[in-house]
Amino acid sequence: MLRYLTSRTLATIVMALLSTLIVFLIASLVPGDPVLAQLGDLAASNPEIVKAYRAKWGLDLPLYEQYWIFLKNLANGDLGISISTQRPVLADIRQFAPATVELGTIAFILSMAIGIPLGVAAAVGRDSWIDHWARFVSLIGVSSPVFWLAFIMLTIFYGWLQIMPGPGRIDPIELPPPTVTGSFLVDSALAGKWELLHTVAAHLVLPSIVLCAATLGLITRTTRASMLETLGQDYVRVARAKGLRERAVIVAHALPNALIPVVTLAGLAYANLLTGTVMTETIFSWPGLGLYTFRAALALDIPSIMGMTLVFAVVYLLINWLVDMSYAVLDPRVLKR
Amino acid sequence: MNRDSIHSITRRDLMRLLGIGGGAAIGAGLPGFEALAQSRKDTLVIGMDIRDTNNLDPVRDLHYTPPMTVHACYDTLLTMDPGDYITLKPALATKWERTPDGKGWRFTLRDNVKFVTGNKMTAQDVKYSLDRVNYIGYQAAQYLTNVAEFKVVDEKTIDVMLKNPIEPILTILAAPSFSITDSKVVAEKGGDATPQSKDKDKATEWLNQNSVGTGPYKLVGWERGAQIQLVANPTYWGGKPPYQRVVIRHFEDSAAQLLSLRRGDIDAAFNLLPEQLTTLKDDKDLWIKEHDSLDFIYIALTHNPEFNKALAVKEARQAVAYAIDYDGIIKNLLGGAGIRPPNFIPAGLLGATEQLTKEIGFREDLDRAKKLLAQAGFPDGFEFEIIYGNGAIAGTTYHVLGQKLQADLGRVGIKLKLNPMPQVNLRTLYNGGKMSATLVYWNPPAVENALWSWATVQRVAKRLHWTPPADLVKLVDDAATETDPKKAEALYIEYQKRMVDVANLIVLFQPRYQVGVCKTIKDLPLTAAGWQLEVGGVKPSA
Repeated sequence: MLRYLTSRTLATIVMALLSTLIVFLIASLVPGDPVLAQLGDLAASNPEIVKAYRAKWGLDLPLYEQYWIFLKNLANGDLGISISTQRPVLADIRQFAPATVELGTIAFILSMAIGIPLGVAAAVGRDSWIDHWARFVSLIGVSSPVFWLAFIMLTIFYGWLQIMPGPGRIDPIELPPPTVTGSFLVDSALAGKWELLHTVAAHLVLPSIVLCAATLGLITRTTRASMLETLGQDYVRVARAKGLRERAVIVAHALPNALIPVVTLAGLAYANLLTGTVMTETIFSWPGLGLYTFRAALALDIPSIMGMTLVFAVVYLLINWLVDMSYAVLDPRVLKR
Repeated sequence: MNRDSIHSITRRDLMRLLGIGGGAAIGAGLPGFEALAQSRKDTLVIGMDIRDTNNLDPVRDLHYTPPMTVHACYDTLLTMDPGDYITLKPALATKWERTPDGKGWRFTLRDNVKFVTGNKMTAQDVKYSLDRVNYIGYQAAQYLTNVAEFKVVDEKTIDVMLKNPIEPILTILAAPSFSITDSKVVAEKGGDATPQSKDKDKATEWLNQNSVGTGPYKLVGWERGAQIQLVANPTYWGGKPPYQRVVIRHFEDSAAQLLSLRRGDIDAAFNLLPEQLTTLKDDKDLWIKEHDSLDFIYIALTHNPEFNKALAVKEARQAVAYAIDYDGIIKNLLGGAGIRPPNFIPAGLLGATEQLTKEIGFREDLDRAKKLLAQAGFPDGFEFEIIYGNGAIAGTTYHVLGQKLQADLGRVGIKLKLNPMPQVNLRTLYNGGKMSATLVYWNPPAVENALWSWATVQRVAKRLHWTPPADLVKLVDDAATETDPKKAEALYIEYQKRMVDVANLIVLFQPRYQVGVCKTIKDLPLTAAGWQLEVGGVKPSA
């Protein structure tokens, strides 16, 4: 077990560093000059200012040296300073991450809480109305583009029916809760501001539905397929032959085995939800990491891009690592191989 | 549209839908909500795309949107009324005149002005604020290169001494970058206004969340990418501000902005597209505020035959200019929301009017374009490549404009090759002068004719590989330093005629700002002077 754990962890670290190297090379080879994106027209025409700016951001150094500095700073837990916001990248990430994590987590919980039961029900009641309905839901979820779904939801529930609040994390008139964790749900609860907690929860409804739609579809389909396969296994037949109640057969015998592929998918899906929020954040004016990364890329803000690559890589690798570890728990045979 | 009733329905239905709250919670929630509804009337909510807001410290680089917030919280020595960019108005200075030796300007400060911190505003604060801009050395400092010294004469008098006494400075000092801050508090928070301030100044982080000015409002918080919160400044010298609070709410997307305006969650929407604005016209709860900007979109053509043989010939460049359907662009692509200046000085400034465009500016004239092509030695036309950014502009996109130009020029046999690219790559190529033609945007950091005209004979000329004739450079200098407005106007008209003849800069249009506004607002004083909106002048309907 220990050897398995160590080797997976080491591989994870190497992969994360490798991904930053690749992104660094790509960003450095793009013909644009990040300094010009930041300076005004007049300042950008003054060679002295441009030179000073380059020196300040270390852009005048050879590429390998720039990357070496990045690694050295990283070892000290420093991701450097963002060229466009002129603040430490770590401070930026700390600022924007909670909004994304909150949204991504709610969307993840939603897709699991709906997707798994729906998939199981569809498999158990194969070809019944619930199966058709589940297929319809997952088809819509997987195939509708996020920007379209977001607008439709906003127009219907915010514009016409007026039962949902608009874009943003809170109403314009409200002040955000005092920052403790950065999650507005947790912070407003900690501050005992129940009225604000309601607003915050309400503002999460539409974006999290939009964000989870595609994942929900995938989870439902996978659960259904895996469940169907499991239900055809010998041990299920044995369980039934023993005279167990159908409910016990499904929940206690079939479901745990059927969930193994779903766990793999869920891990990836969570990573996807955390890193794939750009569109949802755009339409719902959600101040999260997706938008931050998108803007950093447009401005060729190399320190921010590197920082975000590292974060995204770590999120993916960490979740993969967790999934790997969970296999070991779910299926002891993994360790023996 | 009764926003309060809509809002309470929202909440109740929502709670039911979510299954949280229940009857008791709704009952308990209501009193607090009424208090909020009360404050909604006293709160101005502005919907705007503020993604470029990276700083709210006046001395740092202020891109497009931060000046609005800065101007709401701070005052400058002089200012300009919306729509009049020629007459200077007193702000923190009530009087300005030449210094006795004639080498600078002497400003007399307004009496009894207090900062929002409670401290009295003095000449020392003015010196500290302007020194800090100068020494920190960001973009704004570039406009102070002619300043020799800011000299305190007494508590309410300050001299701005110039290296070249006749170069313009007054209009420049009206820009929000030159805001006056409370020197004591800024210094307390790590500010520095000495030649070492580039490394020593640490006040920006604090000034991004707090303001220490004399303006109608006070910054109390900025949640990046979400909103900026202002409250009324009780000590404002100009009287009680009309709103208790101002919220500048970020919208990444214009359709969401439109929905929020219709719902009454925001009072004004700044980033609506032309087709979205037309849907507002028959809404009785909304109106549209329009204002001509001083920004423009222009084409720059190289003089370097290595990049394009034809464009190096003046007549070929002129042919391009006469083959463009300017009216069609403004009418069809902008929905009529734009005007066109004669050349590189926006209409609305000294010596530049739409009337003059009709008299001396380019116009669509295909026969003339063909004749010019023949004169240039390219009777069958020629081909050139134009670079521009991926992105939206003035309710359309650069790409759509490019396609329109391609069709227009095609009529006289000029083939236009379109080359869209990320903005940052575009700037790299344009600043380095490595392109045959570009389609880009120009917006002024301060309202001063010379900032445009100097650019055309200095840095822009360099990018186009053009050496402007000495007499033209002299003309620009003369116009900039002429103190008699009548004579200066004549010089600027002459300058524009010359530039039209050179035909390396073709201005397509100046967009007109169009803002969707709720009827709850009576007046929304937009300005093109660099800060978009006079926030302190926004008034609610009775």
